[in-house]
Amino acid sequence: MPEAVPRTESAAPKAVFERGKDLAALRLTGSWRLASLARVAAELEALQWPEKFAIDGSGITEIDSAGALALLTHVDAHSRSQPQLTGFEANELRIVEQVRGRLEAARAPTKHHQERTIEMIGRRTIEVTLSVLGDINFLGATVVGLGRSVIHPHTVRIRELTAQFEQVCLNAIPVVALVTLLIGVVIAYLLGLQAEQFGANIFVVDGVGIGATREFAPIIVAVIVAGRSGAAFTAQLGSMRLTEETDAIRTLGLSPLDVLVLPRVIALIIAMPLLVFVGDVMSLTGALLIAEPMLDITPPTFIARLRDTLDISHPLVGLAKAPVFALVIAVIGCRMGMSVERDTRAVGMATTSTVVQSIVAVILLDAAFAVFFQAIGI
Amino acid sequence: MARSETILEVDSIVTRFGEQTVHDGVSFTLQRGTLTALIGGSGTGKSVLLREVIGLQRPTEGTIRLLGTNVWQDEEDELNAMRRRFGMMFQDGALFSSMTVAQNVAMPLIEHANVPAALLDPLIKLRLAQAGLGADAAEKVPSELSGGMRKRAAIARALALEPEVLFLDEPTSGLDPPTARAFDQLVRSLVDDLGLTVFLVTHDLDTLLTVVDRIIVLGSGKVLADGSIEEILRTDDDWIKAYFSVRTMVDQQSETVS
Repeated sequence: MPEAVPRTESAAPKAVFERGKDLAALRLTGSWRLASLARVAAELEALQWPEKFAIDGSGITEIDSAGALALLTHVDAHSRSQPQLTGFEANELRIVEQVRGRLEAARAPTKHHQERTIEMIGRRTIEVTLSVLGDINFLGATVVGLGRSVIHPHTVRIRELTAQFEQVCLNAIPVVALVTLLIGVVIAYLLGLQAEQFGANIFVVDGVGIGATREFAPIIVAVIVAGRSGAAFTAQLGSMRLTEETDAIRTLGLSPLDVLVLPRVIALIIAMPLLVFVGDVMSLTGALLIAEPMLDITPPTFIARLRDTLDISHPLVGLAKAPVFALVIAVIGCRMGMSVERDTRAVGMATTSTVVQSIVAVILLDAAFAVFFQAIGI
Repeated sequence: MARSETILEVDSIVTRFGEQTVHDGVSFTLQRGTLTALIGGSGTGKSVLLREVIGLQRPTEGTIRLLGTNVWQDEEDELNAMRRRFGMMFQDGALFSSMTVAQNVAMPLIEHANVPAALLDPLIKLRLAQAGLGADAAEKVPSELSGGMRKRAAIARALALEPEVLFLDEPTSGLDPPTARAFDQLVRSLVDDLGLTVFLVTHDLDTLLTVVDRIIVLGSGKVLADGSIEEILRTDDDWIKAYFSVRTMVDQQSETVS
């Protein structure tokens, strides 16, 4: 016997009926394996099946359970009795018998439950309601926790808080700075194209000042934070749910809210105004950099004009929105992470959902703020 | 005849991770149609060896020939053809979590075998039945299954392409004893009825004492002992004695009781 040679191309499977003395015999030859299952099936389809017959397997070179399954399903469809098996080798017979014992199971029809529209609407309604109730519950618990942290600051976990702060604030500064710098350049450039036509170059400074500090910097920073920190919160807490770490925290007599959620929420609420401030400075810097080559506004002129026209209320409005955005992003991120069930897919889906929900929520809130500040005249 | 055919040849395998030497010249061969277990203490590199054999992790030195292919030297095409001829069951099943059990089993069949449409569904059901799963499990996703059912679903997927060799990583870990014993019988019947060659990593003494033909003991980077359970029990090695001592204690107790 040669050593485990790769299986060579084996003889094609064939099935023919041979007229015997008293009983027709289905004579099988060749290789009845999964690899040649299509030909096995074609052979069996083409046969004219008599009333009664026996099966002669002496010409079979090899048979596996897939080949046996094809044979037995066809035999079963055309014969009422169990045909006699002859000529099979012992190991081949064992395979055929094993498959025969499981034929019923293999042919059991699949029960596909097709959900009807009304069922789907009902199921989704319940799911969404439960999810919203859960969100409100979580937001309430977080706000209560935040209130307690303000009244009793010593209950805040400083180590966890500082670690999170480093992650969400310090490590985020480079990307925030780069993106807002470019945004500043782009706004000044686009405004400048228009203003130049009227010789109103200097008004670009007014426009960039208000636009960047009041709207663009907070929104851009919120989008970056949602994608960076909100998604990270969900992924971290979600995988801790999978490995039962959150349950371990609970059984140690601690509250996951205190240990995991509050440090993240507080860190982000502190970090976000700082990041928005970085964004303000960088976007104005971007505008200043392009103002001289494009609009002949020198840096001293730019700064003097900014000081004259940019009312302090605009940056303050922008900075005031930041902690609210932070609260929403952090709560959505933590809530989605904590709602992950024992299913590896869920972490990925929850993370995606966090980013989408956060960005939508931030833009809706920003619109509400615009209306609100308009109404109170700021 | 076919019984004496060599399926797997592991030749002087050396594995190092940085300073640490896990395997220091491990050699053995497997014959077709046998059920062999690989045992050893934690950190002796059982799972690493298994991953090296099936081509997931490269050994530092040595050669591995599986089904006539040199796992770490031959061309990717040859390796891919060979990969269809063995099945692997990972410890936690490694079922695709976004698919139902039936879709998990169907995937290798659809990708690699030209199965006529009319036979695909019966073939999937047959695989589930061969792994001891009922048809009601077919439409569930892995997260809805118990640990034992997940292992069975993993076996069903490993069996999909009628492999000649089946590798199992701790098939009975995390199962309750009756389920574990049923699993042992399932594995034994794969060897006896379908003629598979099974190579498994295990810590389960009952598996070792009841269904396994041959045990390979890994320790200090080498093969400490290799043979039938009787031969292993006669070995004069402290670790092996300690390993099987629990069983001997239980046996002695039951003897004194009866």
